[in-house]
Amino acid sequence: MHFKVQAACATLLVRFWPGIPRACGGPGLALIIESVSKSMTAGVRRSVFAAAVAAALVGGCASGDTGAAEVWDPIETPNRFIFAINRTVDMIAVRPLAVMYRDGVPEPAQKSVRNVLDNLGEPVTAINEVFQGDPSRAATTMARFLVNSTLGVAGLFDVATTLGMKRTKTDAGQTIGMWAAKGVEPENGGFYLVLPLAGPSNARDATGLMIDYAIDPFQILPIALNVDWFYYSAPRYALTAIDYRSRTMFALDDLEKNSVDYYAALRSAYTQNRAELIRAKREGTDSKSELERRDNLALVR
Amino acid sequence: MLLLACRRVVLCLAVGAAAAVATLPASAADPGQLIQSTATEAIDIIKKTTPGPARQAAIQQVLQTSFDLPYMGQTALGVNWNKATEAERARFLKAAESAEARAYSERFGQYAGQTLTVGKVTPRPNGLFIVDSQLSQTSGQPVKLQWEVRDAGRGLRITDVKVEGVSMIMTRRSDFNSYIQSHGGTVEPLITELESRAAR
Repeated sequence: MHFKVQAACATLLVRFWPGIPRACGGPGLALIIESVSKSMTAGVRRSVFAAAVAAALVGGCASGDTGAAEVWDPIETPNRFIFAINRTVDMIAVRPLAVMYRDGVPEPAQKSVRNVLDNLGEPVTAINEVFQGDPSRAATTMARFLVNSTLGVAGLFDVATTLGMKRTKTDAGQTIGMWAAKGVEPENGGFYLVLPLAGPSNARDATGLMIDYAIDPFQILPIALNVDWFYYSAPRYALTAIDYRSRTMFALDDLEKNSVDYYAALRSAYTQNRAELIRAKREGTDSKSELERRDNLALVR
Repeated sequence: MLLLACRRVVLCLAVGAAAAVATLPASAADPGQLIQSTATEAIDIIKKTTPGPARQAAIQQVLQTSFDLPYMGQTALGVNWNKATEAERARFLKAAESAEARAYSERFGQYAGQTLTVGKVTPRPNGLFIVDSQLSQTSGQPVKLQWEVRDAGRGLRITDVKVEGVSMIMTRRSDFNSYIQSHGGTVEPLITELESRAAR
């Protein structure tokens, strides 16, 4: 039941993301902030829906772009503020830990940690793949999950890949982006948003993040079974953060060192990378769009 | 009189055609080949040198011969290019060139067995070529690289590189534009910053 309601919310959102008339600016923003704070107290389900609607309302303002335009960032000042805090936390805590993890922990152990975390994420990927209209890929993902959870000893070993089942990873942000109307470029994910701790995002991907959180069986189960947050969720998130940070170290260090405005460079790189992933999903329906966008880009210069 | 005008037009056309033909041999190589040879050259430099001035000079050489730097610089500046004076443009291009050379020379400490496989070449109606390629590493996933190649009268030159969908030029453009906007809307502070970085 729980699942069905979530799914309905997702489809509703997906269907109305690009099409409905929208009011820009303040009210939608207030709504999303309100709903985020609500999610701490009230049921996750309702707030996810409210946030989704709010994000959809605010998200569509920057439409009709050619992809050459700058990333839409109406709340740049608060974003830069959160960005500065994130950078400080990263500098004094996350990055040093990630360096220690990368250099100190043996390679096979790192691989196993990654496998376990990846395995916990498979159900969310499978659900999203169903909604992306790819049930066969979803079936592969679920098969992977079953094989790795049993033969792979709770996901420690990626047996499924050796059996020829390739790993795919997707999220609700990509699902939304995929089903957005034809005129909405994947570069347009609504307003740009820097999330505390999580970093670069936008209205679309932040909504996706909340949906993924709400549909994740490994998030619902611990709550249902009353598992203490300290023993499950906290270690999972901490490990995810350290693992992710250690993998992005090279690219982020490079970007920071070679940019004059790191915030703007990361904003652009994030948007482009997400757009690329969504474009790969859309490929079946409009493969020409990427090339046409490039032609437009050439005209702009 | 009319005949004379006609003759002049014909003459002009002939000269134009001759000029067009003369530039053709320069663009004989195909875009895929250009990417392959540039990659081979770069890997060779990384194999032979260690990060430092020697490597930076060698990389800069490759940038100058294989990349269309003025065009890339113009795109990276976007609308700000039109606002800049001739002198500012020249200084910007010079500073950006050494910044890129420096970035590339430091990016790869030493050669770790990467190989580049060139894939499909897609010509576009506006004269651009999109070249797909894959950078295979000894460990980890292969990286998807896409190149933009263009012929602007000086033979085929690379005008952009996309790594996993992230265009180097678009990222620079965003980066530079934001810096310009927060520093009084002129290119001068950006050029000064890039020059001071190059001098470090």
